[in-house]
Amino acid sequence: MKALRVEQLTLTLPNGVKLCDQLSFTIEPGRVLALMGPSGSGKSSILGWLTGTLAKEIHADGKLWLGETSLLNVPTEKRRLGLMLQQDYLFPHMSVDQNLKFGLQSGDKATRERKIADSLENAGLTGLRYANPATLSGGQRSRVSLLRSLLSEPHALLLDEPFARLDSQRRQQIREFTWDACKKLPVLLVTHDKADVPAHADVLELEDNHA
Amino acid sequence: MPHSVSNGRGLPLLAAIAVALLFSAPLLIGLGGTMAPAFGFMPELAPGNGFAQLLDDPRFIPALKLTIKTGTIATLLVLLLTILALVCLNRTRWWRWMLAALPPLLAIPHAAFAVGLVFLVAPSGWIVRLFSPWLTSWERPPADWVVPDAGGWSLIAGLVMKEAPFLLLAAAAQLPRLNVDALLKIGLTLGYSPARCWSRLILPSLYPRIRLTLFVILAFNLSVVDMALLLGPGNPPTLSVLLLSYVNEPGFRAAASAGALILAVGMAIFFFAVMLVERFIAIVANRRRESGHRGHGSGLFRQVGKYSVVAITLCSVLTLIALLLWSFTQRWRFPSALPDSWTMRHWLGRSDLLLDPLWATTLFATFCCIATLIAAVVWLEAERLGAVKKIDWLWYVPLFIPQITLLFGWQAASLITATDGLWLTVAYAHWVYTLPYVVLILAVAWRELDPNWNNAASVLGAGYWKVLFRIRLPLLIKPVLQAMAVAVAVSVAQYLPTALLGAGRHNTLAIEVVTSFGGVDRRVIATLAVLQSLLPLIVFSLALLIPAVIQKKQQQHS
Repeated sequence: MKALRVEQLTLTLPNGVKLCDQLSFTIEPGRVLALMGPSGSGKSSILGWLTGTLAKEIHADGKLWLGETSLLNVPTEKRRLGLMLQQDYLFPHMSVDQNLKFGLQSGDKATRERKIADSLENAGLTGLRYANPATLSGGQRSRVSLLRSLLSEPHALLLDEPFARLDSQRRQQIREFTWDACKKLPVLLVTHDKADVPAHADVLELEDNHA
Repeated sequence: MPHSVSNGRGLPLLAAIAVALLFSAPLLIGLGGTMAPAFGFMPELAPGNGFAQLLDDPRFIPALKLTIKTGTIATLLVLLLTILALVCLNRTRWWRWMLAALPPLLAIPHAAFAVGLVFLVAPSGWIVRLFSPWLTSWERPPADWVVPDAGGWSLIAGLVMKEAPFLLLAAAAQLPRLNVDALLKIGLTLGYSPARCWSRLILPSLYPRIRLTLFVILAFNLSVVDMALLLGPGNPPTLSVLLLSYVNEPGFRAAASAGALILAVGMAIFFFAVMLVERFIAIVANRRRESGHRGHGSGLFRQVGKYSVVAITLCSVLTLIALLLWSFTQRWRFPSALPDSWTMRHWLGRSDLLLDPLWATTLFATFCCIATLIAAVVWLEAERLGAVKKIDWLWYVPLFIPQITLLFGWQAASLITATDGLWLTVAYAHWVYTLPYVVLILAVAWRELDPNWNNAASVLGAGYWKVLFRIRLPLLIKPVLQAMAVAVAVSVAQYLPTALLGAGRHNTLAIEVVTSFGGVDRRVIATLAVLQSLLPLIVFSLALLIPAVIQKKQQQHS
């Protein structure tokens, strides 16, 4: 696994307001960087820039590295940066199994089936393999969504308020599951809730649109 | 409950039943009136064995084949073009421009559009003129092709250019409900190319939502008359055109009815076949989705798709401009790119030819606009008050059954009851064909309007009618005006109901454009076609302007 590195990132709105100015950070594999700040401080825009899906109106200037490879001119689908959003976006026209297969890289059928069975077992979701996503609870959906991202074998994981929609009872359980599942990857966590941030994480606060 | 309680459910129920009966009675009479002569039950009106007559006609099978060919290919191309536009243009700057171009293209009546297309792509058309002689070295119109062509390709082109905006607009209206941006983001970060994200994530959710619209387009493409008369081949013509010619041939009435029934049954079989194909595609797509293959970059595909869609949209716009140019042309010699001299003569000097059709068209359109709005509001209010259930399938019936199948029967019934040729008969037919669009457009907004608006007004003491006219309708002014504009556009475009039920007494612009084509000066036809297009365009513009003005005034007051 390689480190995810951002150098001197500046994001500017069309009206000239800077969402972040000369922001730099490095996330080593197995580390979590929590990006915190109030609404409108540019956290999601930074994620958008990292994934290559930033709104065209926002001007971006900076460098993005995965190990020694620059990702700046790499299309989103080739960056291999896993993304989990506040909403889980399990595809409603696919079962849990199909959602996971959609995430999984192509290859030998038996290996793929085993990978899915193993990951579901680890997540305590074995009996739900062929279930319709609509029938799952919020916590189950979150876990499937995370599994789908991980099965795509990303080089880093970006989490945008992934626990915000969960009830307080489930939240702690899913947090633990997430940090355990992502322990080999560089992880960028965007959140405004300090309770979401794991003990071992580095924290970067964004304030008043300036880092 | 709001004050509607005082009215109970009885009155809304009665009113809704009246609307449903008025709407469905001609459909039943039309079907019955077509079936009876076909099976020999009306020998005075339609003597002979219709099916035998039909099969004896050597033009029947070629006409049927041509109909299947043009209808199927045109519908497939409409779907392909819509998908290309979604995949290649969505989230680009072209997308907004194209969406802005769609409503005017939709508003143009089919006949007017067909005339414009001939003026654009014919050997002496505007495209050839634009590139001659400097690129083609043609000093005279080439003789390499004719429009309409024998293969039906001109008709296919016309149908695609006219119907693709309809499907694309229906699809674009659904996109906000599908969370396209988020799905694309997830799909892309999982490593799939944008085209694969569309084909595997978005289209499977989108297709069921536009499926009915696609079927309406398929039904239209298989049974269209006015465009087929203008753009389709003459020998053999499409089946609908052949059947229409039977009506005017003594002794062929039974054959016309038999053919209309075959067209309707054939269309039902066709729908069934399409559903089977859909199942097959769903199975294949499901397997491919599970494979995990990410696919390669689709940059070239997206570029080709983007420019194809833009080129076709541009052609549609040029079609309208070609009509406009010809209507102001005094002399336009080949190969000049623009008219050599201009004139207002066709607009100002031919009032005899323009004013009567304009008046007839405006009357029918105004009647339709008001009568369909009243009927739609009556139905939707009854539905909202719980007096009737939602039965959207009913409104689709005249859109799925070929016009010719219903109207032959309706015409037979009107001949028997001596109501053919009456203004009210024609207006009634326009109303039947316009109401589905008005109800379906209005229904979305009507059902979604927060009931608390009604409640808030009711607890302030407003009665049912006050709530309806002071709260509900003003809040829904945008969709109401859009529905009225669509009513005008649909009525202005009606050719077959006016031709079959009007007994030649109601020369609307649609009738004039179709019947004048080929026999009247190109410049005069262009003027008629522009006039026919102007009516819906003006009404659509008003439907956009009025809410904006009202909003501006309200802001000034506040």
